Amino acid sequence: MVPTGSGSARPTTHNGEHYVDGARVIEYLPSSLNALPSSRYYLWLMAPALILLAAITLYPFFWLIWMSLQNVGAGPETEFVGFKNYIRLWADDKFWTGWVLLFKYSFFCLLFEITIGVFLAVVLNGHRFENILITIFLMPMMMAPAIAGLVWYYLFNSTFGWYHWLFQSLGILGETSIIGSTETAMAGIVIVDIWQWTPLITLITLAGMKRVPRDQLEANMVDGASAVRNFISITLPNIYPFLLIAIMLRFMDNFRFIDVIMRLTGGGPAEVTKVLPVYLFDVSFVFFKLGRGSAIALTLLIVTIIFGKLLVKVFENPASKRIDQGN
Amino acid sequence: MFNIPKNAIYKRINRRKFLELGGGVATALGTGSLAVGLNSTIMKTSVQASSSPEAKWKQYAGSKLVFMSENTPPSFAIRDTIKEFFDLTGITVEVLTDDLPVVLQKVGIDVRGGKADFPVFYSQDKPIGAALADYCADLGKFIKDDTLPQDPEGYGADSWFDNFLDACGSMYEKGKIVALPYDAAIACTFYRQDVFEKHSKDFEKEYKYRMEFNAKTTWKNVLDYTTFLQKMKKAGQDVPYGYAQHLGTFAWTTQLDIQRMMYSHGQWLDFKIDDILGSKKPGPTNWGDASSIEMMKQYKALADVCHPDNLANGTLELNTVYQSGQIAMQIQYHEFAASVEDEKTSKAAGGKTAYAPCPLGEASWIKNGGKAVNGTNCGIGGIAINKNASEDIQRAAFIFATYATSKKLQYNVLKGLGGTPTRKSVLAEPDVVAARKRPTKMPNALTFEPVYDFGIKAPNFVLGPKIPEVNEYHKILHAEVSKCVAGKQSPEDACKAIKKQTDNVHDI
Repeated sequence: MVPTGSGSARPTTHNGEHYVDGARVIEYLPSSLNALPSSRYYLWLMAPALILLAAITLYPFFWLIWMSLQNVGAGPETEFVGFKNYIRLWADDKFWTGWVLLFKYSFFCLLFEITIGVFLAVVLNGHRFENILITIFLMPMMMAPAIAGLVWYYLFNSTFGWYHWLFQSLGILGETSIIGSTETAMAGIVIVDIWQWTPLITLITLAGMKRVPRDQLEANMVDGASAVRNFISITLPNIYPFLLIAIMLRFMDNFRFIDVIMRLTGGGPAEVTKVLPVYLFDVSFVFFKLGRGSAIALTLLIVTIIFGKLLVKVFENPASKRIDQGN
Repeated sequence: MFNIPKNAIYKRINRRKFLELGGGVATALGTGSLAVGLNSTIMKTSVQASSSPEAKWKQYAGSKLVFMSENTPPSFAIRDTIKEFFDLTGITVEVLTDDLPVVLQKVGIDVRGGKADFPVFYSQDKPIGAALADYCADLGKFIKDDTLPQDPEGYGADSWFDNFLDACGSMYEKGKIVALPYDAAIACTFYRQDVFEKHSKDFEKEYKYRMEFNAKTTWKNVLDYTTFLQKMKKAGQDVPYGYAQHLGTFAWTTQLDIQRMMYSHGQWLDFKIDDILGSKKPGPTNWGDASSIEMMKQYKALADVCHPDNLANGTLELNTVYQSGQIAMQIQYHEFAASVEDEKTSKAAGGKTAYAPCPLGEASWIKNGGKAVNGTNCGIGGIAINKNASEDIQRAAFIFATYATSKKLQYNVLKGLGGTPTRKSVLAEPDVVAARKRPTKMPNALTFEPVYDFGIKAPNFVLGPKIPEVNEYHKILHAEVSKCVAGKQSPEDACKAIKKQTDNVHDI
């Protein structure tokens, strides 16, 4: 039973305990306390997970590096060629064009998706039909990208496509389909990406907006700030981390999702939509030049990581930056 | 662990007993799995050369094969009637079908990885056969094996239509057969007879010759017809466009599309190699020579007056454009006649479409001194056996290949689904002979005259190029031709770009 004290400390007992304001204070480590496990103990605990992780990520990664140093040609034989695959990439026009097109594609997708996504989130936030509308907006995202590509392929088709007919009736398009012209094909694949993935930006931004402190918004409004000013000064800094996640996700997706492009244009017409991952697919699984394909894949991976890091730097939360500077 | 009543009438299982039971269950499961696994490989019954025909068919009863094929009529037919094969042999066959590029990817990964998940696969002559020939078993040894059931008509070149066995079976080595002809896609001209008849007089006034299509119709005539119809269309008249090419997303058919024009003019070939056997080291390509530049110019000239969505139309889309009545001519594979003649889906059905050989070369366009022919090319789909599979699986696969290329099956497919036979004897069947004329219940038979009687015969038929890097070559060609058609580069530059990249692929 814990003695109820009068507030003053009592003398320490034989086992090092004493009471302060009725609370028991122990001034020594109990003799029965378990010894801290060694780091090896934790290593053993983590070993199964580490082995599994290594098997599914590290092994293929190192295998990719090894493959990129091999010549895997038409026959079953392979030979070690050192950095020949990488050197060959320098002179490969399709490789460099693939990069340019990939950046162009990613830039336009991100630009429109962020702009429209954030706008929709602002409109939807607190709207009386918010739940219903967000459910409707999320529908495209639930479709498998390959199916989305197929659906839009039919919609864009100049013979029977409903969208083509609509755009043609409105005088926006002629008889050439949007994916059949070198001038508009890139726009075609960007439109599909915007349609499918803007809801993700909206969803993430909306989640961020729910966490914007109301007191700050109200204080700002009391100070006479307009809705736009309020958004720029209060909402935007608060949703920064959420936007960063959204941008990172979409940026990485654009660098690896080729389902829609493969289905819609296959990289054509005249290679105007042959972004690097599509070229990588061709090299690896149509030409079966797995050595060259691995070299392309590795450059793609490295650049994705570098740009990911850069994006994090650029979009770092200004609030945390200020705190860091203050420290 | 559990609360046991004091007066329990059952015995509590001790740890030892529990482990014994667990071990027993594990052993039973393991044995079961092994049995199932063995069942999926092979359960061979030995057979002697003197065994009955029935025993030869049944010798691999209980085994299982996976057939990876393109989504073509014979594969659907086999899948629908696979029980018949099972009843005959006791072999279970799983028929998987997909688009040709997917078949190439799946089979390519399987055979290159040293696996035999697809012991038997569809080998379209160039994209799969030429690329994966090293991984295909030589069927010659099975054909000579009298312990295996054999087709009564045999497998010699005479059993099939002209050049078919060479097209899909001969790759790089004389005497080795990598595949047996299973289905065929031969190019011929589909044209709207009603449109031609309606506008022939107006055309004749302007061009001083009749608007008609036959074996003597040249590529220049096709250009004239297309220009004429485009002019009428632009003038607001209710006519279809003249023509459209095979561009779109399928690289191989673009190569075939321009190859027909190239070969028609002096039998131009892509490489200086044997057209039947092909070559693993083809040397420098002929692209960039005077003939190729001239042909690229004419291909571009034709493209300029084609259907406006020319660049988006691959082979399937092109057929849809024709079916919807938007163009008056297409060079298409004869297997598409069934869809064109389907009145439910095609505006070109009901006797409006006529079939003719591929156009003849225009003498004035020939630059290499060769002769003008009706350049006709093909995709002969073979059935090949994976070399990585065990000997017994390969033998079981050969039994399936024999069944899948039999006359009976091909005849049934032609009647039921609109197939394209590869065995000559199918055409001798009385109802097939009758079906060559309208009204017909076998629409593909309407194309047999321009295809089997004319197009596939020398000197019109071109088989290659058979080279291991064929798919990369097709992609190069497709990209550069598309750029030229789109006006992004001149015909000269397109030919130079093809040469540079193709030679680079071959380390030249």
